[in-house]
Amino acid sequence: MLKGRFGGFFFQLIALLLAFGFVSLILLSVDASPAEAYKNMFNGSFGSMRKFAEVLVAFVPLLLVTAGLLVTFSSGLWNIGVEGQVVLGAITTTWVFRYFIESDLPPALIITLAILGGMLGGAVWASFTGVLKVFGGVNEIFGGLGLNFVATALTIYLIFGPWKRPGVASMSGTVPFPDEFSLPLLAGLRISPWALAIALAGIVVIYFILQGTYFGLRLKAVGKNFRAAYLLGIPTWQYSMYSFLICGALAGAAGAVQVAAVYHRLIPSISSGYGYLGLMVAMLINYNAIWAVPVALFFAALNIGSIQLPILMKLDSSLSGVLQGVLVLFVLLADGVRQKFARKA
Amino acid sequence: MITDLLSTTVLIGILASGVRLATPYLYAAIGETFSQKSGVLNLGVEGQMLIGCFAAFYVALTTGNLWLGLLVAILVGALMGLAMAFVTVNLHAQQGISGIGFYLFGLGMSELLFQRLMGTVETVRGFPKIEIPVLIGIPFIGEILFNQNILVYGAYLLVPLAWFILNKTTLGLKISSVGENPDAADSLGVSVARVRYFTITLGGVLSSVAGASLSIALLNVFQQNMTSGLGFIAVALVYFGAWRPFGVLAGALLFSMVNSLQLWVQVLNIPIPSDIAVMMPYVLTILVLVATVSRVRAPSALTRPFEREE
Repeated sequence: MLKGRFGGFFFQLIALLLAFGFVSLILLSVDASPAEAYKNMFNGSFGSMRKFAEVLVAFVPLLLVTAGLLVTFSSGLWNIGVEGQVVLGAITTTWVFRYFIESDLPPALIITLAILGGMLGGAVWASFTGVLKVFGGVNEIFGGLGLNFVATALTIYLIFGPWKRPGVASMSGTVPFPDEFSLPLLAGLRISPWALAIALAGIVVIYFILQGTYFGLRLKAVGKNFRAAYLLGIPTWQYSMYSFLICGALAGAAGAVQVAAVYHRLIPSISSGYGYLGLMVAMLINYNAIWAVPVALFFAALNIGSIQLPILMKLDSSLSGVLQGVLVLFVLLADGVRQKFARKA
Repeated sequence: MITDLLSTTVLIGILASGVRLATPYLYAAIGETFSQKSGVLNLGVEGQMLIGCFAAFYVALTTGNLWLGLLVAILVGALMGLAMAFVTVNLHAQQGISGIGFYLFGLGMSELLFQRLMGTVETVRGFPKIEIPVLIGIPFIGEILFNQNILVYGAYLLVPLAWFILNKTTLGLKISSVGENPDAADSLGVSVARVRYFTITLGGVLSSVAGASLSIALLNVFQQNMTSGLGFIAVALVYFGAWRPFGVLAGALLFSMVNSLQLWVQVLNIPIPSDIAVMMPYVLTILVLVATVSRVRAPSALTRPFEREE
């Protein structure tokens, strides 16, 4: 019972319960009712079609980022620069929209170009981390962190510099694009079925690449044992670069969707931390693409549900962050305990 | 106008605030140097800073005692460090994920407590400036270096102390050996677990103090997410400084001086576009990262959990 997939699932479930228990204690210690908080969070994310649509809005970029990170993790790379890659995707998408804003091309074509542009932007940004890693020997964590700062600074520069609103530039971002530049939304809701389709297509493609192709097999070989893969004749540096490019393209798509379907402009915090959240989701599911959809949906629901809390209970929406952080730590704890059991058995 | 920048008063102002602004980077990055030297990459610095930042501020605000605030920040930092050490050392967790977990936890927890316990932004009177007698009299330099508050002095004293511990003591040797080759260290009787517990806990304490230096010594206020990425910069500074305390000092100063220059450019209304000024430190980081590439080598066992072969 403690072994295999079911055993893993059993321990994850215990970890989930413990995490909620621990956060309940925190809530009690600050004089808030845990039951009421969880109930409000649940209603806030699943209470109505409109609210669930909001969960999906958060789910789309999170799933795209997670799908990309599954590739870099498979090849043994820690792509913390994914946050910056989302940002660059948003920037290039905004740039394409601005470039075509006066043109007579059909909007559908412009939107397609803008999203492809976003993917390209993310991939190019990821390739910087890749080049630093492969040719310069800079650990991808440090290179990625550095490039994240540059990406954020670039956003601020564009919003307050060349792309500023007529009159006065502000933290609210660039001038919103006209409606025809938006991915079509479902009537009365903020979710675009196209965005959802892009995200689901992303995870399905990644699943098949990793599970069913020779390329995926070699990628995983590089991740499992870099030196052995090299000695077997796999061009390891190329595979490292491929995985950065694929992850960057998916992260870029996440940024593109944020611009084309959610904000309709460039804002300072366009990535909304989905990069870091995606890192956690990818690791929580143990790099197994099958679980990406439910876990990303769960995390998105936590985020959206907790936004209701400040109004209703004078709690902060940050409760979702506390829950997610605690959940990760308890999953690690459960995993450690399980390995101890496995060794004894 | 641009010539304003060159007047002595302004120059002293820029350099003095540059020296002051390096404080949180120094505490956090020196702490991170210890843990990375022992092979542990702690990405949770930002979260630990935020908790320390809030804890110190809240205690100082409610009791009026700054030292008590600092003490609580140290205790809370030690607690978080111990938790991180447990996850890393005993559970052999991937260091990246536990770090990001601590980051999200710290970010959320500090905001939650702020909302619940305070609700509005308030200010405290932070640690006062202390003039060092005699030295303050040195023209130019005195004003820049010797008229700061106690936490600023502490940060600069920490650098040679860290250098001494890492390079001249048995403890420092143990830390490096655990970071370079934990198996060899283990076979020679060095307890990898104990060394890493020590460095990670120390890292937690110093990150927490870094946060406290913001809220009760430099800015004297607490706002949500007020470290805004500073903890991640500290992680990168360790690389920048090539895992040497004085290298970290150089990196922290470079960063804070450019920041200070940028603030003064805005204050004086100098026609350098401020958005370019804001980007300078970051572009600089990348350039220096690239420049230092071939020179440095990370501790060999960095990010690798240690498990004794049975």
